[in-house]
Amino acid sequence: MDTAKSFLKKLRTFLIFAGPTTFVFLSVVIFPFIFGIYLSLTNWDGIASAYRFIGFSNYLTVFQDQFFWNSFLLTVRYVLYTVVFVNLVAFALAYLLTSGIKGEKVLRAGFFVPNLIGGIILGLIWHFVFSRALVFLGKSLNLELFSYSWLANPQKALWTLVIVSVWQYSGYMMLIHIAGLVNMPKEVIEAALIDGANDGQRIIRIILPLMAPSFVVSMFLTLQRGFMVYDVNLALTNGGPFRSTELISMHVYKKAFLAQEYGIGQSQAFILFVMVAAITLTQVYFSKKLEVEM
Amino acid sequence: MKKARLLTLALCLMLMFSLSSALGFAQTTVHVTVLNSKGEIQTQLEEIAEHYNRATSGVKVEIVPCPVGQSPFERTMAMYSAGNAPTIAMLDPADVVRFQDKALDLTAEQWVRDAIERSLDRSTLPNGRVIGFPFTVEAYGFIYNKQVVDKAVGGKFDPMSIKTTADLEALFRKIESSGTGALVISPMDWSLGAHFLAVSYTTQSANSSGIDEFFSKLRDGKANLAANRQFIGLMDTFDTMKKYNVDKNDPLSGTYDRGPELLGEGKVGIWFMGNWAWPNINEFDTANGQYGFLPVPISNNPDDYGNSQIPVGVTKYFIVDAEQSTEAQQKEARNFLNWLVYDEKGQEYVVNQANVIPAFKNVTVEPKDPLAKSILEYVMNGKTLEFMTQLPADHWSVVGASMQKYLAGAIDRNGLADEIEAYWSNLQ
Repeated sequence: MDTAKSFLKKLRTFLIFAGPTTFVFLSVVIFPFIFGIYLSLTNWDGIASAYRFIGFSNYLTVFQDQFFWNSFLLTVRYVLYTVVFVNLVAFALAYLLTSGIKGEKVLRAGFFVPNLIGGIILGLIWHFVFSRALVFLGKSLNLELFSYSWLANPQKALWTLVIVSVWQYSGYMMLIHIAGLVNMPKEVIEAALIDGANDGQRIIRIILPLMAPSFVVSMFLTLQRGFMVYDVNLALTNGGPFRSTELISMHVYKKAFLAQEYGIGQSQAFILFVMVAAITLTQVYFSKKLEVEM
Repeated sequence: MKKARLLTLALCLMLMFSLSSALGFAQTTVHVTVLNSKGEIQTQLEEIAEHYNRATSGVKVEIVPCPVGQSPFERTMAMYSAGNAPTIAMLDPADVVRFQDKALDLTAEQWVRDAIERSLDRSTLPNGRVIGFPFTVEAYGFIYNKQVVDKAVGGKFDPMSIKTTADLEALFRKIESSGTGALVISPMDWSLGAHFLAVSYTTQSANSSGIDEFFSKLRDGKANLAANRQFIGLMDTFDTMKKYNVDKNDPLSGTYDRGPELLGEGKVGIWFMGNWAWPNINEFDTANGQYGFLPVPISNNPDDYGNSQIPVGVTKYFIVDAEQSTEAQQKEARNFLNWLVYDEKGQEYVVNQANVIPAFKNVTVEPKDPLAKSILEYVMNGKTLEFMTQLPADHWSVVGASMQKYLAGAIDRNGLADEIEAYWSNLQ
C-alpha cells in the first residue's frame, strides 16, 4: 500500500518535470522512427491510402542497388575529407586565437559566423562563387585551374562540397577546441617549459593528449553532420554534374519522394541509420580510450 | 491543492474556448490555397488572385509557391502529411492519378465539355471520372531569334525550311558566319531528359498506342536503342548541336538563366526550350518580340514524322482536395476554376498576364506572346507531336543525368543507350 503510493508519487513528480519533454520526444522522434521501420516493410508510394506488407524485399533491393552503394562510398569519402580538414583547421585556428594575438575576440566571432548562416544560403553564395566569381577571375588572370566551373566537373564538385563544409564547421569546432585549450591546467605547460620542451614537443606531447576530450566531441559532431549533410549538397551542387555528387541523404530523399518509392527509401534510411550509429559509437568508444586521466 | 486543480481546469477550458473561437472566426471568409508549381508565373498568379479577391466577396485565394527544385508531387505529399493540404494543387500530368482517392470529382463541371480534345487524357480515371483541370498547354522545340536568323540567311527566314538535320546544321553555320553564336544548350537534366530525349520516344509512332508499345518494350528490356532509327537520328542532331554550342568548352556550367539572356540579347540565334521561357526571354528582348519555334529534326528525310512537328500537350493540371478541405472551400475552389475559364477578365489574365495557353475551346483571347502564337500555328496546321507527360517520376533526373554525361563527353552513344535501357528495365 505504502510502496504503491510512493510509486504514484514518484511517477507524478517525474511526469511534472520530464513529462512534456518525454511526450514530445516520443511523438516526434521515437514513434515516427518505429513507424518508419514498419513502412520500410511495405510497398507504400508516399501518398496512396492503400499499401501492402511485403516483408524484407525492400532491403533486398537496397542491398543489390549499385547506385545506393556508390552514393554511400562517395559519402564516406566526403566525410573522411571533412572530418580531417575541419579538425585540422579548427585546431589551428583555436591554437592561434588562444596564443594572445591582437583582436582575438573579434576574430573568434568572425570565424564562427559561417556556422550561423543556414546551409541553403551558404550553398547558394558559394554556388555563385564557384560558378561565376572564380571563373571570371580565372578567365581574366588566365588561370587554368579556375577557368572552368568546378561545379561542372565531377571530381572538383566533391571538393567544392568539402571546402564549403570546412568553411562552415571549422568555426564551430574551433570554439570547442578553444574551450579545451583554455581549460587546460597552466601548471602542466609551465612545467614543460621549465623542462625545456620546444613548441612542437609541447603541442604533440602535452597539449594534444590533454585535448582528447574536445577531439572526441568535435570528431563525433563532424562525423555525424557529414553523414547527414543535405542542405549544402542541395544548394551547391544539387547532386550534379550528372548525379556524381549525390550524397547519401539526398539519394535517400530522391528515392523516397522523387522516384515515389517510399518503402525503398525508408529501408535505405534505416540501413543508413544503423551504419552511422555503428561508426560514431565505435569512434566514441575508441577515442574515449585516448583520454588522459589527470 | 484543490485550488491548483481548479486553476488548471480553468486554463484548459480557456485554451479550448479560444481555439474554437479562432476556428469560428476563420469561417467568415473562405480561404482557398493554390499550390503553384510554375515558379516563373508566381507573381502573375498572385496578381490574378488579388484581382479575384477584390472582385468577389467572402473568399480569399492565396497562391503558395512550390520551392525551386522540389517536385510538385513532393510538395503536395508533404502538405497532405502535415494535414495542411492545398485546396487546389497544380500537379504534373503523371502525378494526377496518384491523388485519385484525395481529389474531388470534377466530372460535372461545365469546363469538362469545353476542354479541347485529349486535354483531359491524364486527368480522367479509367471509370470516366475527371479529377483534374487542364491548366496549361505547352510546347517546346528550338526557339529562334528572328532578327539573328534573318540576318544570317540574308532575308526573311522561313521556319518551314528547316526539315532535316542537315538543314539545321546549315542554319547553324550561317548564323555562326554572320558573327553570332549559333545556339546554346542549357544543360539542365529536366530539359535534356524530359524534353529533348523524349522526342525520340514521341516520334516512335503517330498514335499513342504505338508509343505505349515502345515503352513496354523498354520496360521489358527488349528495345534496342542503339539500333533505333529515331534515337540515332535524334542523337545525330544532338551531336550537331554540341558542335555549334557556344558553351562547348564547358558544357555543364550553364544555368537556365543564361539561355534567355543569350537568346534575348541576340548573342545566339537558337535555344532549345519551351514557351514557358517567354517571360524570361522578354526581359532581355532586343528583337521586338519576334521569336518562334523550329521542330527538332530526327533524320535527313524531310517527310519523316517529327521533322515538321513540335511536341504540344497539357503540362499542368489542377486538382481540388476533397479530403482535408471543407465543403465551402471546395465550392469556392470550383468557382475559381470556372472564373479562369469563363470570366472575360479571368481569360485575359490567364492568357496575357500569365502567358498561359488555355486548354479550352471557348477562350478566344488572342495571345500577345510570340511563342504562344507560334504554337497555335503548329496546332492549327495539325503539326503536333504528343508531349511525353506520362514518363516515370524520376525519369528526368536519372536519364537527364545520363544525357549530361553524354553532353560532357563522359560516355559515348552506346553508353548512353545502355544507361537509358538500364533505367527503364529496372523500373519497379
